[in-house]
Amino acid sequence: MKTKFLFAAVLLASGGAFAQSAGSFIVHAGGAQVSPDVDSTDLTVPSFVGTRFDVKKASAFVGGVTYFTGDHLSFDLSVAAPFKHDVVGAGAIAGTGRLATVKSQPISLLAQYRFGEASSSFRPFVGAGVTYHHLSRSKATAALSGISGGTAAMPTTLAMKSRLGPTVEVGAAYNVTRDWSASVSVGKTLLKTTGTLSTGQSFETSLDPVTIKFGIGYRF
Amino acid sequence: MTSQLNRVAAASAALLAGLLLAACGGGGSTADTTPQVKITSVKVFGDSIQDSGTFGYKFTVQGADNLIYAERIAANYGLALCNFYSFTGTTFVANTAKAGCTNFSIGGGRITYTGAGAGPTNPLNVGVQLATHASLGSFAATDLVIIDGGGNDAADLVGAYLNIPRDTAAAYSALLGTLLTPTQIGTALGGGATTTAQIGATYMTALADKFYNAIKANVLDKGATHVVVLNIPDITYTPRFQTVLDSVALASGGGTAGATARAQAQATFQGWMTAYNTQLAAKFGNDERVALIDFYKGFQDRVNNPAQYGLTNVKDPACPRTGVGADGLPTYTFPTCTAAALSAAPPVGVTGTDWWQRYAFSDGFHPTPYLHQLTQQLIAKSLAAKGWL
Repeated sequence: MKTKFLFAAVLLASGGAFAQSAGSFIVHAGGAQVSPDVDSTDLTVPSFVGTRFDVKKASAFVGGVTYFTGDHLSFDLSVAAPFKHDVVGAGAIAGTGRLATVKSQPISLLAQYRFGEASSSFRPFVGAGVTYHHLSRSKATAALSGISGGTAAMPTTLAMKSRLGPTVEVGAAYNVTRDWSASVSVGKTLLKTTGTLSTGQSFETSLDPVTIKFGIGYRF
Repeated sequence: MTSQLNRVAAASAALLAGLLLAACGGGGSTADTTPQVKITSVKVFGDSIQDSGTFGYKFTVQGADNLIYAERIAANYGLALCNFYSFTGTTFVANTAKAGCTNFSIGGGRITYTGAGAGPTNPLNVGVQLATHASLGSFAATDLVIIDGGGNDAADLVGAYLNIPRDTAAAYSALLGTLLTPTQIGTALGGGATTTAQIGATYMTALADKFYNAIKANVLDKGATHVVVLNIPDITYTPRFQTVLDSVALASGGGTAGATARAQAQATFQGWMTAYNTQLAAKFGNDERVALIDFYKGFQDRVNNPAQYGLTNVKDPACPRTGVGADGLPTYTFPTCTAAALSAAPPVGVTGTDWWQRYAFSDGFHPTPYLHQLTQQLIAKSLAAKGWL
């Protein structure tokens, strides 16, 4: 909500351009929604036949810096406040509710190519690079314990490995004033990880998240 | 330019540090085991697989941490169970050694108990257990009720049916007569082998009606809103009834003829249990207060796919046989079948103390603690799907 408000405020402002020329250093902040596209293997035995997992989408604040080495080429380093994803059952354990939450904190480094002139107010861009998803602080539920044979005294926990994956993105920036800009982008990261239960079983899964990002930037 | 870059660096560093800090606080995996529904008491009614110690022992391998599935479900809610009844050697009395116990299940419990001391007040009838609770008060919204029954009734019916050649159907007729009319029974038994077998299904359907009515009157109509009911597991998969079926094959001369007779007998018995299970499911319908567990299929699934469930042996009882019963089948002694005793005496050719831990059966008819855990997981899956866990 706050993000949307700022976004609108920036769009309403007016002024000249030149925000995106060689040497420009833009600090940006905004919001993002990460929607994993999950394809999990069956949980290893012992387990119900066809036990799988799904990871739901989440939203969080993101921010970062973009440095222009030329009028068209820029490098962007973005980090995010942790996304809190719900982990739910699929396959044999579909419909059993939330089994865990896991915090994901992506850090991405992308090279971006900007179309149009440095002075253009509207500049589409494409980017490619890598994203490191730091997966941590998973919190399992009573349902996961029950399904996996844990108890309240010895609950089952879920750990997911942090992984690095390639990212591509497309987006566009609107330079509202000489210093202020707004941008929107859609990125796709190819990411595989491993989930392990404290009861010993594990599963491999692709997360392959799609990230939709809005942000406002200020040029220093 | 330098000062501008410094400002940029400072601003960037502040932003990145802020976001990174937001993510910090340790990467450990934890659990919040608060169930979705607050359950403060688990009340259990049924037979041996749910008995917490009416006779001073459990119907599985004995051990301090060898919980039965009902106790494991209770543990999911942070609760423990103890036996409501104690056996005096002749009769069942309230457990005075420990107050507030809510597990009414008794080993040997049946929907219709016809053995020694049978009568309308004997708590070996699961319905009497239910009525006893009903006489003490109603259920609360924070009660979880777990009920099983019918497994021993099905076993009784199988035994009586197989005894027809020896007692001219006396036991079979008597058992059928507890729920069916003499006319029904006379017509069936006079109609030949097919109708004699089919009347068993009619009996099991009536048995499901009887059990449903007892649960409705004493549990659902008494305010219970979280009720777990297990249907009959496929008892033909137990070592005891595998032996019974083997003797059916032998009695038919073994070989192909024996195998055919064995398969027919198993199909008949499974048909009876399915008749009961189908009727029970129909009776409860879509009652949102009830989680009906398909123990029949779940149990078959585990025995048919041992590796999937981490079972190493689904044929042999883990406990040593200690005798032979009047029916010619092996007997076992649970009080002496302890975890320590089993670990100390691995079978020939086996080393290690944990050899028995992934066996499915403790004796010929009852699960090991591990199969209890697998049953708890089966129930938990339904509880989670209901939003109760």
